[in-house]
Amino acid sequence: MNVSLNEVEATAKRATRGAGYSWGLAEEAAKATRWLCAHGQNGTGALAQLLQLDLASAPQTHAPSDLNGEWQSENQLCPLVTGALLSDFAQRLNSSPIEIRNIAVPALLLPFAANAARLLKTCVCVEYDHALAETDGYDLSLGTPFPDRAHQVSVHLGGQLTAPTPHQTRAEPDPTDWAVLNRFAHRTYAPATEESRLRGAGAGLSDND
Amino acid sequence: MNKTGTDIPRRDPEQVMRLSRLGSLHQCRLSFMRQLTRRLVRENWTFTRPIFAIDDNGVGYAVYTAQGPERVYSLVAFAHDLSPEQRSDRVIAEAWDATFALFDGIPTEQDIQRLSQNVPLQEAGRVSESELSLSRANRSVRLWKHVVDRLAVGQQPDLEQIHKVGYLMRTTAVYGSGKFGAADREKIANRPELNAPFQAEMLSVYLTRTFVRDLVQHMARTKGGVQTADLDPEIAQWLGIGNSTGLGMAPFIVNHPVLFNNWIMAREEALARVRSLQSASEDEARHFLEIFDRSKLSMSWWRSEHPVQIEKLASLNADLAAITSYLDQKDLTQDDPWDRLIRWSETALGEEGQELLASLVLEPYGDLVDGLTGCMADGNAQVQVINGGMTVDQLRTAIHDRFGWALHMDWSAEANCARAWYVSEEKLEPRLGERFEEPIAEYEQPLAPARDAALAYADLENWQDDRSIAEFLLRHPEHRHTIRRAQIGLVAPYGELRDNTISAGVMPIDMLRAKLSFFGATHFDPRSDRWVRICMYAGAPYPEDLNAKTADLWVYPELSQ
Repeated sequence: MNVSLNEVEATAKRATRGAGYSWGLAEEAAKATRWLCAHGQNGTGALAQLLQLDLASAPQTHAPSDLNGEWQSENQLCPLVTGALLSDFAQRLNSSPIEIRNIAVPALLLPFAANAARLLKTCVCVEYDHALAETDGYDLSLGTPFPDRAHQVSVHLGGQLTAPTPHQTRAEPDPTDWAVLNRFAHRTYAPATEESRLRGAGAGLSDND
Repeated sequence: MNKTGTDIPRRDPEQVMRLSRLGSLHQCRLSFMRQLTRRLVRENWTFTRPIFAIDDNGVGYAVYTAQGPERVYSLVAFAHDLSPEQRSDRVIAEAWDATFALFDGIPTEQDIQRLSQNVPLQEAGRVSESELSLSRANRSVRLWKHVVDRLAVGQQPDLEQIHKVGYLMRTTAVYGSGKFGAADREKIANRPELNAPFQAEMLSVYLTRTFVRDLVQHMARTKGGVQTADLDPEIAQWLGIGNSTGLGMAPFIVNHPVLFNNWIMAREEALARVRSLQSASEDEARHFLEIFDRSKLSMSWWRSEHPVQIEKLASLNADLAAITSYLDQKDLTQDDPWDRLIRWSETALGEEGQELLASLVLEPYGDLVDGLTGCMADGNAQVQVINGGMTVDQLRTAIHDRFGWALHMDWSAEANCARAWYVSEEKLEPRLGERFEEPIAEYEQPLAPARDAALAYADLENWQDDRSIAEFLLRHPEHRHTIRRAQIGLVAPYGELRDNTISAGVMPIDMLRAKLSFFGATHFDPRSDRWVRICMYAGAPYPEDLNAKTADLWVYPELSQ
């Protein structure tokens, strides 16, 4: 199906919240998914894949435990938590690369690297095990497709946008992924009850005057 | 926003951003409808009705086009035969008297065919990137019948009845910005004619008004045949388009702090510029007095049955009398006339009257304030990105500056958190519930910035001043949305409500009115604490009557000679 980027963002936000993340991280996931779609990447697929891993049920075990040195945890890292951290710590890239070990759905790191690039007004390189992506925050250039999981990621300044991907104004989510996101989103909706129907909106049901 | 020659500062957000005051705002020169009609005239837009295929039962479709200097837009309208039991203004309705899409360009037959299968379904259908808005409207049953019946027997409708209701149809939602598959805001944001907020939606409603006038004439003729009267244009002018707005609009102003800030700040800056004038010409003073008198006439048609609004109207009427008496006695040309007037209003009037004056004093000064309309859109996406390098101490200060009033409230006390905002699975209708009476807390939306600020502040107190907020957020992801808002607040001083949005006494209609006043709505008629009807475009010229004389001040009825 063909959806607007606003729909991608709204659905991603609800889905991420429905999967148990905080509202603030749900906002990050929404912007990140939209950014990927706007750059022709399968953002909805990446988010659907991540949410099904259920990392939010034990968040601290999927967050970097120590920020000195390599970012890692006893389990695979969550790319939303790690990505937000990367964006928050963008200034660190001015002094050294950020090394990340064992991270799920690494495609979701890219929009956060793009945040860093815009903040620092420079190009940022994201090197995956055997892949490379570069972004200046506005454009994205990448070689091979993203792996589902990366053992080692290095984020550093530099690179050049040799062949930026075309920008997209719409997204075409895979129907299965879209259904997954909507299933998670549904968890944020209160069940319909007669009481809620009559009280909650503060309006009657008839408009015949 | 550049400050130009203002000795008087903008009013303090502490004063402006209280819900009771925002719930007393009135339209002004900067309102989105007036921005649109001024542009339509300035740029010499032309209007046509290429298709009007409505049958004797009032079923069919019509197309209205608006041609601007660079682009053309078309309203595609579908008219339906609706039974009374289906007529509801709730989001959960599934059928309407009329449904609409604003098409980007001129639709082909295939486009119309596609839209005919989707637009009447509204949320249950899909539109495309070619559509800029999706909307629907129901008849005001009482006024519709009156107008059709009168015209059909060769008579004109009773103007008093028209003033009493204000419109033949009221929209119950106008969706834009990518909803249900429509084009994203980004597609149109850089077009000069649609850069200001809600211009596509305002154009859609403007064309809808013409369609509704044509439709009522058509239905009258179907009923009355040759004896049918043509609706008198002088009377038709007073037919606006109603709008019935529920809770969905309240979250909007909380969820778009930068955008809302830009609206409020533009008006505050306009007010500061006018207040800073040391004198006014005789013409400017006379213009203000005339607009005030015309405004009083419009206010005299404003009716509401809601106890809160009845009280506010009584206060407004007392204010109007007090203003009249002030204006009879005081000179408006010398000694900082507008600043004196505003200062006096703060000691002598209620908030309805104060905000009316704050809007009206802008009227003589289009040259001074209309340029601010260019500052009302939100083009600052980067502000959403958290600056993790900020220190804990800086964040505490940012939160304290905006939410100092909320930090020591008891947020576990029932009265302070009695309500919760949630979304129902029933057509995703936004609702407000009773936290301690309904099982809704786990579905709560993040629409209580003051409570959340207090929670974040409490946790920040345990952190060292010089630690980075990035470290704090790694340990406290639950405060991430609050830290983002606090940083946005540093660039958007009017972006934050200075009131509790979940208290037992919160009046969501205050939030609705704040937003609707910027659309340019008048005659706010709350139907409950969370649902309001308004009127749009009453008094405005129809496309064939748009000219330099009618473009702007139509919101103020001319006094009969």
